[in-house]
Amino acid sequence: MSIKTLDGLTLIERAELERELASAYDFDSKDPLFGLSKHDMSGPHMSRRSILRLMAAAGTLTATNMIPMAAGFNDSEAVSGGTLTCGWAGVGQIVTLDPAQINQVVQFQIMSNVLSGLMHINPDLVGEGDLAESWEIDSSGTDYLFTLRSGVTFHNGDKFDADDVLFTYNRSKDSTKSIHSRVLANVNDVEKVNDLQVRFKLDKPQASFLTKTLERSSGRAMTIVCRGALESMGESQYGLTPVGTGPFKIIEHQLGQGVEMDKFADYYDPERPKLDKVIIKPISDAEPLAAAIESGDIQLIGGNPIAAELVDRFVANPDLVVDEVAGPGFQSIWINPWHEHMKVSDFNKPVSELMKEKGFMVRLAFAKAMDRDRYLKQAQFGRGTPAHGTINPAMGFYFDETLAETSNQKFDVTEAQRLMAAAGYPGGEGFPTLKLTTTPSGRREATVVADIFKRNLGVKIQIEAKEWSVNVEEFDTMKWDLRRSGSGGDFDPDDGIVDWMQTESKFNGRNRDKSIYPFGYFSDKEADELIAEQSTEADLEKRRALVRKVDKITSDKVASIFLFHPANILVHHISVNFPKQSRIPGLVDLDRVTIS
Amino acid sequence: MSRFLVRRIFGALIVMFAVATLVFIMLRLVPGDPIAAMLYDAGDPDAVDEIRTKLGLDRPMYVQYGKWLWNAVQGDFGRSIYGSRVEVSRLLMEALPRTLSLASLSFIIAMVIAVPAGLIAATRRNSRADYAVTFVAFLGLSMPDFWLAILLIIAFAANLHWLPAIGYVPLAKGFWPWLSHLILPALAVGTAFSAIVARMIRSSMLEVLNTEYMRVARSKGLSERTLIMTHALPNALIPVVTVIGIAFALLMSGTVVVENVFAIKGLGRLLIQGILNRDYPVVQGTILVVSAIFVFSNLLVDVLYSIIDPRIRLQS
Repeated sequence: MSIKTLDGLTLIERAELERELASAYDFDSKDPLFGLSKHDMSGPHMSRRSILRLMAAAGTLTATNMIPMAAGFNDSEAVSGGTLTCGWAGVGQIVTLDPAQINQVVQFQIMSNVLSGLMHINPDLVGEGDLAESWEIDSSGTDYLFTLRSGVTFHNGDKFDADDVLFTYNRSKDSTKSIHSRVLANVNDVEKVNDLQVRFKLDKPQASFLTKTLERSSGRAMTIVCRGALESMGESQYGLTPVGTGPFKIIEHQLGQGVEMDKFADYYDPERPKLDKVIIKPISDAEPLAAAIESGDIQLIGGNPIAAELVDRFVANPDLVVDEVAGPGFQSIWINPWHEHMKVSDFNKPVSELMKEKGFMVRLAFAKAMDRDRYLKQAQFGRGTPAHGTINPAMGFYFDETLAETSNQKFDVTEAQRLMAAAGYPGGEGFPTLKLTTTPSGRREATVVADIFKRNLGVKIQIEAKEWSVNVEEFDTMKWDLRRSGSGGDFDPDDGIVDWMQTESKFNGRNRDKSIYPFGYFSDKEADELIAEQSTEADLEKRRALVRKVDKITSDKVASIFLFHPANILVHHISVNFPKQSRIPGLVDLDRVTIS
Repeated sequence: MSRFLVRRIFGALIVMFAVATLVFIMLRLVPGDPIAAMLYDAGDPDAVDEIRTKLGLDRPMYVQYGKWLWNAVQGDFGRSIYGSRVEVSRLLMEALPRTLSLASLSFIIAMVIAVPAGLIAATRRNSRADYAVTFVAFLGLSMPDFWLAILLIIAFAANLHWLPAIGYVPLAKGFWPWLSHLILPALAVGTAFSAIVARMIRSSMLEVLNTEYMRVARSKGLSERTLIMTHALPNALIPVVTVIGIAFALLMSGTVVVENVFAIKGLGRLLIQGILNRDYPVVQGTILVVSAIFVFSNLLVDVLYSIIDPRIRLQS
């Protein structure tokens, strides 16, 4: 067993990390290239400094991700060949591997091993060319000229060239064909210069363009698909067995039984992949997953986060390696502001004014009564970080560690009880039973939440576990009291504040009856303005200040009861060498993995 | 006989049609929007509407139903609306052999356990053997199959490493790989099934053994073996066959929990995931197949009746 954490860093590594982080933010805020010169930004390789700046601007800079991995890896015994069998946790089937349709992490973790993008984040979190061999950017920061790798072939033997990039772009921007069309909203045009050169024209500079939009996994919009294969196989079969230029080619995919992939011998990097074969089996239940890795049926667990109750068991197993790092995302309990006893019909007031309203007093009482440490211990088996806002430790530079102390939501039972009494419900008397909506798999942890509210406020919570399709429909139409959910998230602050905290956020009661509910679960003009401002702010220090300000406002005004930020945990057998070069939270890139 | 069969087949088709219609309507009445759930992260209301139109889900229910029925009678169950939009018939053809394998092996295990156990319990009534069979049968009935499944995995896969913990391998890839992946799930399913059948055989045999013709046969000096195997068992099997027929049909669709534990995507799991995703074509197609299995299992039982006891055919 071994666990890698920040503590695993040597003093030299820490010092180097701090120096690089410090130098990543000192540039001219007016520069559309985020403080970098054309030379800095152009490929085939970008310097670590350049990438740090770009990733910081894109929000993908994460201290824990940059760590030169400390322990648990054994490269010395690595040999090529062999078959790796993986279990994909918490999923019954991989419904699609077509990048245009992928909407789950469990899917793009596999896709990343089969298809390529123009860019991919590399072992040191340096975004480098995947199918792009080099690139040049003009001084406006809106014109990108990519030179593509030559001699690259798809798994079916088709040659890769600029037409495939254009084909992918045209397919992805069509909202009837791709669910990621919005990712390309800032791309004005893509033109073929010649067979091996394409030019992207953006409407405005975009820090996340190289490291997110063009990234092969997290972006998905520009993950290169094979024209010939799509035409010959049809979209449906392509979604099951996509043909790409990645290190592994899919041999068989039976829905619900798994995916079998062979090494692609003509991969552009002759050193990769190392394994001959990879088999991925979806396993939805926790105990069978544990039994499968303990019995050796599988040697690595990917997919959804591993059930919290299993992690300690794996840590105690000397045959397994448990690798834990901070993961992106936030989890919350949402409060319906239109519920009679928690009503706040206008958040556009100072907190001191809101404090005079009974509905807000109740909301705040709930937030203050949430014992996050207890929740984490009981519901998440001690894994994760208490949350007081959307911005999480995986966002590194943007994360405000002081928010836990300064937020209105700071745990304080006495004050919570006083607020409930002031609202007319001393000891929870006279307060109605609330329904806490969750998914069937979330019932156990929802029980912990209910117990904490019962214990600290005397309020009864009835848990309503509903299937995902019903759960989503009710959430979108504001037909709920309390709801347990959050964001799996990526590394950009936008993931939390743009997607969740704006009045027009995509999750904010998007299908509500607007004649009854003027807004969804939260609406604050100041927060809206700040969020819009930070999205276009190139100065990182300023952006950080704006992001933190939004985080504070939404926390103080109880946009939701922020609960915890998850940990990212990878489990594999000790015989599996999962090199540090591939350890990107959320992804399971297997091209460098070996079996000793 | 042929008139009997034609009449029953016609009745079976009417039942299937009624089931399919009912499921079609109920699916659309229950809450839960498949497209909104599918595009939850995309958050683009326009895309939701476009895809709904593309799939024809914006059309009146009777139009959707008419189109589905017309295609279904031609063998086209449509495509899954989730993910890669795979043909439902393909999903069914992939799931059916898995379920059939699991159900058949479970059935064999159950019969191998149940028939001798039931006979021993009946012929040695109130003996230790009877008590033992009754105790084990109640144990088997009381144990949830998923719990037994997990115990079997822990014992035979995680600790002893004798058998694989999860998955399914088609018969085409070798007999032992196929069998080894099915033994544990079939044991988990078959144990509870055997308990039911053993109890049924015991009580049915006891009833037959106490009839006058059995006393006459015994008074003629026939051997105990001839008495049991030739005179008692065939008569005792009639009610048992009914239960076996229904139970086998249930096995074909009702092993979803065990399928989940062993990560085998059979008909049950296909149906449950279809329902959870509100994947209308998948649910409708699977229900149609499951209802066909039920009605034709019952038909088979009726035919078996007439073979076991020709009086039934004459009466009908």
